[in-house]
Amino acid sequence: MAKNYNYVILVYDIGEKRVGKVFKICKKYLVHFQKSVFRGEITPANLIQLRAELKKVIDEGNDFVAVFKMTGDYVFDEEIIGARMNDSESLLL
Amino acid sequence: MSKTAPSTRYIRTPGTLGREDNSLTFRSEERGIVHLPIHGLKELYLLNEITLNSKLLSFLSMAGITVHFFDYYGHFRGTFYPKDARVSGKVKLLQAKACLERRIPIAATFIGAIAANIHEVLYHYYKHGNKEIKPYLNWLRKDVPRLLDKMEIIPRLLSVEGEIWRRFYDTFKTFLPEDFKMNKRVKRPPDNPLNALISFGNTILYTKTISQIYHTHLDQSISFLHEPSDRRFSLSLDLSEPFKPLLVYRTIFELVNNRRIQVNKHFEKDYNYCILNGTGRDVFITALEDRMKQVFDHGTLKRKVSYLSAIKYDAYKLKKHIVEGIPFVPFLEKEKR
Repeated sequence: MAKNYNYVILVYDIGEKRVGKVFKICKKYLVHFQKSVFRGEITPANLIQLRAELKKVIDEGNDFVAVFKMTGDYVFDEEIIGARMNDSESLLL
Repeated sequence: MSKTAPSTRYIRTPGTLGREDNSLTFRSEERGIVHLPIHGLKELYLLNEITLNSKLLSFLSMAGITVHFFDYYGHFRGTFYPKDARVSGKVKLLQAKACLERRIPIAATFIGAIAANIHEVLYHYYKHGNKEIKPYLNWLRKDVPRLLDKMEIIPRLLSVEGEIWRRFYDTFKTFLPEDFKMNKRVKRPPDNPLNALISFGNTILYTKTISQIYHTHLDQSISFLHEPSDRRFSLSLDLSEPFKPLLVYRTIFELVNNRRIQVNKHFEKDYNYCILNGTGRDVFITALEDRMKQVFDHGTLKRKVSYLSAIKYDAYKLKKHIVEGIPFVPFLEKEKR
């Protein structure tokens, strides 16, 4: 059985012309973490949708998107050094 | 810190919520621009003056997001529903019929569940040496079911419920610290810190239940324990009742006893300590939300479910009772595995 990934870290390197479009797509599904890094919980179905949307926009010869897929958000830990610009994943705003 | 975007957001800083690039953006002086992913979001709680427009509401409706509005003091003002409602005339008729014909037995099961769940919550304190509450526990376990069995009229039933809660509040002085003493339950407006916590917690639970009932075909205004004529969505009051001791009161006891909520730190002094201030609300909401998301093994479903889904399953159970006549028993903590 294929694995169900439900947490991803997405990083991209996109040509200047298309970078805005890619940003707009990603922010619908994931939490903006750093300039070209998104992450967060995502359902397998939404991951398929996100992938399809990205494929329409990017130039596959020049642009680069990497998705690190994980099975849950409890199997790793992270450390943040320095100021976090915007907390878009907190429960309370 | 959570590494994921929550499916519920509470917004308590004043600002503007808007639609941008088919997603949500929240702008405020305090927080700057925050992008909220639209996928995965289910509910929004607006706890302050938030500016939004009809364009946004129609967008939220398409995305299936429920919005609960509150005023500055934490009073619930209303809910915005996505259009695609699960409306079923058949269920509505049967529900009305059940309300007319079988209201008392259904109301009695709710009260039975309240008593059983309060017993479960307080037993913890009894086990840890609080012997004073023993008579109340015995009364809940032995006398209340017997009382409920022979009830014929609603007012009598309600007086039993009132008695359960009154004696429950009486036990507070035996395990809560001095500054959280409460003489009696006062609502609208609450007159002391503990009453404020209870009111705010109940309101959140009430709105969460509204969102859960929304996923069923049940009509929000036809209720059994509460008068169906109440101006509110009274079915939600019924269904949330058995969960109050488990979710709201447990959270309050935990926060107060561990001194994570303190009278002079987390309440507005100007209002005689009767409303929670910003940080107080944050602490309380986070703790309550964590508790609602807590999962346990469900006996009959054979998988892990959260308290929040347990509320939804109670609504399903009630619907099954109404439509198919399957016996209805609200969620009981002691059946949790």
